[in-house]
Amino acid sequence: MPALSPPSDVAVSLIQVAKSYGAVEVLHPFELQVAEGEFVVLLGPSGCGKSTILKMIAGLEEASHGEIHVAGELVNYVRPRDRNVAMVFQNYALYPHMTVRENIAFPLKMSRQPRLKRAVIDERTAEAADIVDLTPYLGRKPAQLSGGQRQRVALARAIVRQPAVFLMDEPLSNLDALLRADMRTSLLDVHARIKKATLYVTHDQIEAMTMADRVVVINAGRIQQIGQPHELYTAPANTFVAQFIGSPRMPLHSLTVSDDGALRIADATLALDPAVVLEPGATVTVGLRPSALRATTSGSACFFGEARRRDYLGSDSYLEVDLGDGASAMVRAEADAEVRPGDIVHVDAAPGAIHVFDEAGVRICGASVGQREQ
Amino acid sequence: MPRTYEDETREVESSGSAARSGLPASRPAIALSYVILLVGVAIALVPFLYVVSTSLKETTSLFSYPPDWIPSPIYWGNFESLFADHPFVWWTFNTLFVAGTVTVLKLWFDTMAGYALAKMEFTGRRGVALLFLLSVAIPISALIIPLFFVVRYLGLLNTYWALILPPLANPLGIFMARSFIVGIPDNLEDSARLDGASEFTIYRKIVLPLIRPGLVVLGMFTFMLQYTSFIWPLIAVQDSERQVLAVGISGLQSAFLQDWGLLSAAMLLAAIPITLVFLLVQKAFVVNDLSGALKE
Repeated sequence: MPALSPPSDVAVSLIQVAKSYGAVEVLHPFELQVAEGEFVVLLGPSGCGKSTILKMIAGLEEASHGEIHVAGELVNYVRPRDRNVAMVFQNYALYPHMTVRENIAFPLKMSRQPRLKRAVIDERTAEAADIVDLTPYLGRKPAQLSGGQRQRVALARAIVRQPAVFLMDEPLSNLDALLRADMRTSLLDVHARIKKATLYVTHDQIEAMTMADRVVVINAGRIQQIGQPHELYTAPANTFVAQFIGSPRMPLHSLTVSDDGALRIADATLALDPAVVLEPGATVTVGLRPSALRATTSGSACFFGEARRRDYLGSDSYLEVDLGDGASAMVRAEADAEVRPGDIVHVDAAPGAIHVFDEAGVRICGASVGQREQ
Repeated sequence: MPRTYEDETREVESSGSAARSGLPASRPAIALSYVILLVGVAIALVPFLYVVSTSLKETTSLFSYPPDWIPSPIYWGNFESLFADHPFVWWTFNTLFVAGTVTVLKLWFDTMAGYALAKMEFTGRRGVALLFLLSVAIPISALIIPLFFVVRYLGLLNTYWALILPPLANPLGIFMARSFIVGIPDNLEDSARLDGASEFTIYRKIVLPLIRPGLVVLGMFTFMLQYTSFIWPLIAVQDSERQVLAVGISGLQSAFLQDWGLLSAAMLLAAIPITLVFLLVQKAFVVNDLSGALKE
């Protein structure tokens, strides 16, 4: 099969790439293109195959099928060192017997074409250390550094090579929450400075939503959706994406379309996109986005329900509300809202609060509350 | 107040010193441990001191009763005889040369083979490892006669090659090296591979430095085994000036004459080089330090 050349502004192009170990298919054929300077996050639960994608691009794993292009070149049969990619590993992978300076300089010393002069190596090492604020620690060994500093050494070692593509395999997952937030900002600053295509693997949706230009959601070896964070949140392609993105998790309810073609949840009838016609008797799944549902005191609320539980988050609270007919919702409320279990809560639904999926879990459309039975 | 990177660094530094300070032991416990240690030292040291004493006595005064621990007068004749009447210097040189060469070559070959078996994917890897493992089980006595014929056929009898080549084929070191290397996380090699390192560079610049303490143990083990090797050198080399210390010293005694003074002097001198080697490398006997490489 002739190699399809991706457009020149595409840094990474994966064409019908798949991976299997014997009969076990861990990644089903998929396509993905990452533009120059783009920050793409691969998001999914553990074991979904996201790290395997990075390893295939790096050349540490062989693709069972398909073509991998880096900076316009087909690299399926190119050695890892010649692929012009740099990788930051989850567990740092620093060379413990070398100082920070030697760790950062290692890729430059290994460079053959062209072989770099010592002065150039020193200069680029200092520059990379400066980008990640490691200059005072250049003489230390990794064991003398904190977790955040070690991760920044790994980052500097990737930066120093000036690769076409950065691959980051859960680089922040070993850090504590506070440091992780700091490092997220540092990483984005570094990305803004060097503007190189970056593929970033994480299972943390907050990382994905805050950092990505585009997010690729993966589950069980299949790509579920590729889109901008806002797109994933407001128009999830399926029930997996709908539940994986957003906190608290979106509750799902299985409903049957009534004989008149209407869809009712609790005592409210949902207004769908006029172009969508549901077959009477069909089973659909409805998801209610917690952050778009708000507890109100007004009487014109979309839903009513009895509060079951209250989760206090500091800035606000989430109430678990029983809507009746077996349906429930997580509803946002003021942090100081005085709601106790058993209280009746009025729930207002903002646009984008309600999503309708077909029986297979694929999104049909968004919905709003049309009318409520009195 | 948010934690800064400097705070974290201080914590990293202080945690080390905190971990080192244990609970103080009670005085009687310390005294008891000293007594036990002193008994152990005495048990190990008395035979050695007796050899020192014997080496400084004339043979005729060896069997006086009660035995004299401190020779009077000190007799240097045993040492003089070793150097004047026997090629003791040659034996020492031969032993050090052969043991040193075997150790260096074995460390090189064993670590390369160990790296291949531990980290490289190739068809038949398990089969090769199993074959090596099986060959460890074959005793040297079963190999000596065929080995003698092979060496004679190659025309290597009475040469250094006869002493150096056969020990290189001992696969035990490969297994030791393999077990050291298996413990190195794959991510380190993957990272080096992406950084542009060749397989040989990964072996030399990443793997070897990380298994250095293990290599010192393997090196000492090989050196000592070779230093005291007796049966094969006895068969492979007949020329007195090509003999190694173990064979040379055993030749100092005959069926009719046991010159204990001479033997003690030879044993004492033979112990000096290996003691020095041990003292030189003992600093390298530290725990394999991978800390900081990966997230613990």
